[in-house]
Amino acid sequence: MGTESSLVSALREQARQQGVEPTDEDLEGVLGFLSRILPVLAELEARIPEEIQP
Amino acid sequence: VTLDPYNAFLHREDVEGDWRVGVKDVIDVAGMPTTAASKVLHRVPERDAECVARLRAAGATIVGKLNTHEFAFGALTNSPHFGAALNPRDPERTTGGSSGGSGAAVAAGLVDLALGTDTAGSIRIPAALCGVTGHRPTSGLVPVDGVVPVAWSLDAVGPLARTAAECRRATEVMAGRELPQEAPRRIGLITSLFESADPAVASACEQAARALGDAEPVELPLHEEMATITQLVMLPEAATIHLHWLRTKLADYGADVRARALAGLLLPSTAYVTGLRARKWVRSLWPKEYDLLVAPAMPIVAPRFDAIPDDYRLLIMPYHSPAALLGLPVTVVPCGEVDGLPVALSLTGRVGGDAVTLTAAEQLQRAA
Repeated sequence: MGTESSLVSALREQARQQGVEPTDEDLEGVLGFLSRILPVLAELEARIPEEIQP
Repeated sequence: VTLDPYNAFLHREDVEGDWRVGVKDVIDVAGMPTTAASKVLHRVPERDAECVARLRAAGATIVGKLNTHEFAFGALTNSPHFGAALNPRDPERTTGGSSGGSGAAVAAGLVDLALGTDTAGSIRIPAALCGVTGHRPTSGLVPVDGVVPVAWSLDAVGPLARTAAECRRATEVMAGRELPQEAPRRIGLITSLFESADPAVASACEQAARALGDAEPVELPLHEEMATITQLVMLPEAATIHLHWLRTKLADYGADVRARALAGLLLPSTAYVTGLRARKWVRSLWPKEYDLLVAPAMPIVAPRFDAIPDDYRLLIMPYHSPAALLGLPVTVVPCGEVDGLPVALSLTGRVGGDAVTLTAAEQLQRAA
């Protein structure tokens, strides 16, 4: 609970820095997306051959 | 103006004419409002989108604007502002989306042709669930000028109609070039997509695919990661497109679209670059020896509104992400029924292979 609350706070600050002011409920929805995406992102970052550039 | 029992239209005009065309409400039609089924956008363009202008020049009568998932950014067509499109095959079930109004209008016979857009399945999903034919053209084949974008590097505009022949005609007009008859030479069956589909859906699709001739089993590269790779590209592009409105009209978005756009804004800065690199990696590993890849278009039949699976998006994304990510042409063609509801095959071609997927779809429809 405490971890999720601090993650929501961090996301809120990141959004504010970009001029966007989401509610806690919005950010809990975002956390749902990020919790699925970030582990795969980390795995891809480790696996993509170095020579492949964007 | 006739009735619209399926909430397919957001705006409709009482016009007479042949080749009656409905246009998804993210595509500009001169003099008709473009809202993207949102409270955020309302513009009345002076000019047609290029794809609409080309259809009009070829004799189309534009009859109205069709319902969509808000900003075409979701797979259900259940805008909180305009209401859900209802599936003409069973109005208690979803059309899918985002081009759900397009699927419903064609299935109900309200139009001869509907335009849809497809960023990550938005033509293919409603075509499959409503039992009509849909074609996602190769990225770039049909101009997207005058179309509200979801994600620039993934978006495509394409037709939904009763038959593949009608989809071919519309694609030719919008692309400005002929797509000659071209039979596939080497066909692959994407085994993982048959295996993960509902067994009755998979069985109907397998049986229908036999009419295409010999096919070999194929595994797609990075298929488990493909949905996430697509999101790594799509979400940041969408957040960039929506940034001004996220700053000024955030509360006016529906909850699901707001969460998706915010997720794009709040992903780490490496996410988009990794997504682009992963896309290039997938492209390098793609089985290019096949000019037609066959799979079920959807793993399930249209779910009831009161029984949409919690993991609906996760369930369907593997079916639509590969072609979206690589910009490949896909024709979705109805191929049977399960429990009285339509089931469809997805025919994916190589980049520029639109003629092959459409020819194969026509072959299936002749055989049926």
